[in-house]
Amino acid sequence: MVSKRFVAKRLLLLGPVLFGVATVVFAILHLSPGDPALTIAGERASQEFVEEVRSNLGLDDPLWEQYLRFLRETATLQFGQSYQIQRGTPVSSILANRLPITIELAILGQIAGLSFGLPLGILSAVKQDTLTDHFTRVGALAGISVPIYWSGPLLILLFAQILGVLPTSGRISSSYFVDTTTGLILVDTLLEGNLEAFRSAVTHLLMPVVVLGIYSMAFISRMMRSSMLEVIRQDYMRTARAKGQGEKITVMKHGLRNAFIPVITIIGIQFGSLLGGSVLTETVFEINGIGTLLVTAIEQSDYPVVQATVLVFAFLYTLVNLFVDITYSVLDPRIDQ
Amino acid sequence: MSGNNNQVSRRSFLKAAGSATVATAATSTLAGCAGGGGSEGGTLRYGRSAHSETLDPQNTTSGEVSKVTNQIYDGLIDFEPGEAAITESLATDWSMDGTEVSLTLREDAQFDDGTEFTAADFIATYRRFTDEDYEYYFEEGSAYGPFTLGNWIDSVEADGDYTLNVTLTQPYAPFLRNLAMFAAVVLSQDDIESGFDFNADANGTGPFQLDELDNANGRIRLTPNENYWGDGPQVGELLFIERGQNSTRAQALVEGELEIIDNLDPSTISTVENADSAEVASGQGINIGYMVFNQSRVEAFRDARVRQAISYAIDTQSIVEEVYDGIATQADQPCPPALFGHNDDIDPYPQDLEQAQSLLEEAGYGDGFSFQLTTFQNARGYNPAPLPTAETIRTNLGEIGIEVEIDDRQFSDYLTYTGEGNHDASLSGWYTDNADPDNFYYVLMHPQVESPDGQDWVDWDTEGFNTSNRAAWANDEFMTLVEDAQQTADQSARAELYHEAAQIARDEAPWVYIDYADEIRGVGTSVNNYTVSAIGGPHLHLVEVE
Repeated sequence: MVSKRFVAKRLLLLGPVLFGVATVVFAILHLSPGDPALTIAGERASQEFVEEVRSNLGLDDPLWEQYLRFLRETATLQFGQSYQIQRGTPVSSILANRLPITIELAILGQIAGLSFGLPLGILSAVKQDTLTDHFTRVGALAGISVPIYWSGPLLILLFAQILGVLPTSGRISSSYFVDTTTGLILVDTLLEGNLEAFRSAVTHLLMPVVVLGIYSMAFISRMMRSSMLEVIRQDYMRTARAKGQGEKITVMKHGLRNAFIPVITIIGIQFGSLLGGSVLTETVFEINGIGTLLVTAIEQSDYPVVQATVLVFAFLYTLVNLFVDITYSVLDPRIDQ
Repeated sequence: MSGNNNQVSRRSFLKAAGSATVATAATSTLAGCAGGGGSEGGTLRYGRSAHSETLDPQNTTSGEVSKVTNQIYDGLIDFEPGEAAITESLATDWSMDGTEVSLTLREDAQFDDGTEFTAADFIATYRRFTDEDYEYYFEEGSAYGPFTLGNWIDSVEADGDYTLNVTLTQPYAPFLRNLAMFAAVVLSQDDIESGFDFNADANGTGPFQLDELDNANGRIRLTPNENYWGDGPQVGELLFIERGQNSTRAQALVEGELEIIDNLDPSTISTVENADSAEVASGQGINIGYMVFNQSRVEAFRDARVRQAISYAIDTQSIVEEVYDGIATQADQPCPPALFGHNDDIDPYPQDLEQAQSLLEEAGYGDGFSFQLTTFQNARGYNPAPLPTAETIRTNLGEIGIEVEIDDRQFSDYLTYTGEGNHDASLSGWYTDNADPDNFYYVLMHPQVESPDGQDWVDWDTEGFNTSNRAAWANDEFMTLVEDAQQTADQSARAELYHEAAQIARDEAPWVYIDYADEIRGVGTSVNNYTVSAIGGPHLHLVEVE
C-alpha cells in the first residue's frame, strides 16, 4: 500500500518543478531575438500600428509585470490569449482541442512499445547468447539509433508512395467528418458507430504509432533483458527450479515481478520521450497535436501558446513519473519508507 | 451557431438544438448540408500547405484565411477571375469624383442566416475594423484596417438601404480596388453587434457557407449557400485540406485525393506534369522578388553608382532560369507586367561585370567593400529558393570584389530584423493586395515622410517613416510622380506617371529587381472551369468536378 505522505510529498514537488519550467520558458522566449508585435502586425503595418499591437498585448510593460501576468494566467489555467495562431482565442481552448491528439498518439506508441518490447526482452534474456538474442539486441540497438525524422519519411516512402497501402499523413481520410466527443479519433469514430471512419483512422495512425513504438520498444526490450538476466541468476530462482517448477512458470511467476521494477522506471521515462517524440512524429505525419502546435507557435512568435505547450509537456512528464513512482512503491514497498 | 471554439458543426448543432428551435430562415440553408460526404455536384477538395484557424477576415493578414473567407463573404467589389480588373459584387454600380465615392448596392443579397444585406452592414463592418468610438470596435483587428479603409475614409453614410456615400480623406485612385480586398468583405451588422464569434463561425453573403471548421484535422468544409445571389456553386461540397509537405500534396493530387493544389515548387511541378490524372495550370503573378539596399544603414549604398554596379553584377537571368527553374520571369522595375503601371520599354540590367567594376571605381569603391545580406530561409511564392539566390548573389558580387556575408533567418525573425532596419541589404518580396500599381510604388518605395534636403534617403528612425520601404529610399522626383498618380482618377494619365516613376526606379536602382513569379496550381483532370487568379478568389464557386 502506498502511503499518503509519499504521494502528498511528490504532489507538493510538482509545484516548484512547474514554476521552474514556467520561469525558464518565459526567460528564453523574452531573451530570444524577434519582436512578436512586428510579426503579428505583419508587413503592411505602420510603425504606429505596431506600437498599438505592442501596447494591446502588454508587450511594452516592464518585463517583471509581464512575468507576473504570465504567472497569474498560468495559475488560473487560462494561459492568456493566442497572439497569432488563433488570435484572441484563449490558449486553454486551443490546447483542449490539440492535447487529446498527442495523448492518443503517445498512449498508442506506448502500448506498441510494451506489447513488443516486454516479450522480446524476456525472450532475449531466456535465450541468452542464441541467435534469437542476437537478433533482438541488434534490432533494439537499431530502434534506439534511428531518429524519427529518418524512420518516418522512410516508412512513408515505402508504405505510402511505393506500395501505396497506407496514407501519407493526417489522422483520418478527408471523406469522414466525425463529431468530437473525446478528441481521440479512434474512440470518437467508435462512439459514432462509424466503422469505415474507424478503419480509416487506424490506417492513418499505423505508421506514426509504429515510428513512436519502435523507439519505445527498443528501450524497453533492452532494459527488460538486462533486468531479467540479473533476476534469473538469483538464488530464489534456483530454488524454484530445484523444487521442480517448470521453467516457464519460474520465469513468469518469480522472475517477471522482480525484473519488472527497474523496467517500470524506464516505461515512465519513455512516456515522456514519446511526448517529446510527438513533436517530430506529428511534424513528419502532419498530425495537428501539441507537437505541431508548439512548432507553429515558435515560428509565429505566439508566446502564450509556446509557454502553455511547454508547461503541458512538463506537467504530463512529471505526472507520469509520479504515477511510475507510485507503481514502483506498490511493487517494492521499501521505496516509500 | 457555433459548437466549441475549434469545431463548428452545423450537423451537431441541428442534432442538439432539435428542429423546432432552429430559426425558420436558417432551416432552408442548413438542411442541405446535414448529410455530409459527397453530395450533388460532387466534392471539390482544395489542398494547401497550411490550415487557417480563424475565419475572421478582420483578424488576419494570412492569405490562407482569405482563400476560405473569400468563398463565404463578399466585398462590395470583386476581382474578375484570372484578371486584375474589378467587377461588381455587393455593389452593382459606383462613381468616384475627387474625394466623393457613391456606391449602389445589390438588393437581392442575403447572409446565409437569411438576413438581408443592406448599407448598414457595410458601415458596421467598416466601423468594427477602424472606428475606436464604435462600441463593437475590434481592437485586435489586423493592420488591414487602416491599410485598406481607415487611412483613406473620412466618413461613410447610407442613403437609404442600398446607397453608400463615402468621403475620402484625399483623392485616392486605388480606393475601389481596396474595396475588393479580402479584408474589406462585408460582415453582418446583427452579428457584429450580438457578439458573434467570427473566429470560429461565419455568416456571409458569398457562394458557400461554413459547415465545419475542423482544426484538429486541418480541414474546413463548406457547402453551398442557397441564398447566394450569383451563379454557382457548381459543387455540393468544398473542402480545404492541409497537406503541409509539397511532395505529399502533389502525390495526393496525382492519386485523386485532391482536385486542386497550390504552392508548387519545381520538383512537385514535375510530379504533376508527369501524371495523367492532373495537370499544371499557371497564370501571370502580380508580385515581385527583389534585393533591397538599406541606405539608412550602409553609406556605400547611398551612391547610385554602387547600387547600379551591384545590379549589373548580379545575374538575375540565371537566378530566374537556373535557380527558380523558369517558374518566374526576370524583373526590371517595381511593378509587375500584369498591371498598367508597368513600363514595357524598360529592360532588365544585363550582367556586365566590366561595367559594374567601372561604376564601383568611379564611386571610389574599386577595392570593394563588404555587407551582410539578410534573407528568410524558407521558400516564398516570389522567391522559390532564397538561400540559393543569396549564394548566387554572393558569388556574383565576389567577382567585383564585394564580400557578402549571408544572414539567414526564420521568417518572423527576418521580419522583425528588417522591420527595425537592422539589415545592410535583404532579399525581399511582395504580393499585391489590390492589383494597383500604387500598392508597389507608394507602399514599398515611398518613405511617406519628407525627403531631407540634398539626399535621397531617410533615416530609419524618422517619425512616421514607412518601414515597408526597406531601402529607406526617398527620391523627390519619384515621390512626386507617385503622389500625383495616387490622386489622378484617369487611368491612362496614371499609367504615364507610373511609367516615368518606373524609369527612375530602374535607373536609380534602390533595389535589385530579381523576378516576377508565376502563379502555379496543380489541377486534377476531373476539374472544369477553374481559373488561376493572382488576386482575389480563388473563384471556386465557378468550378465543376466531373
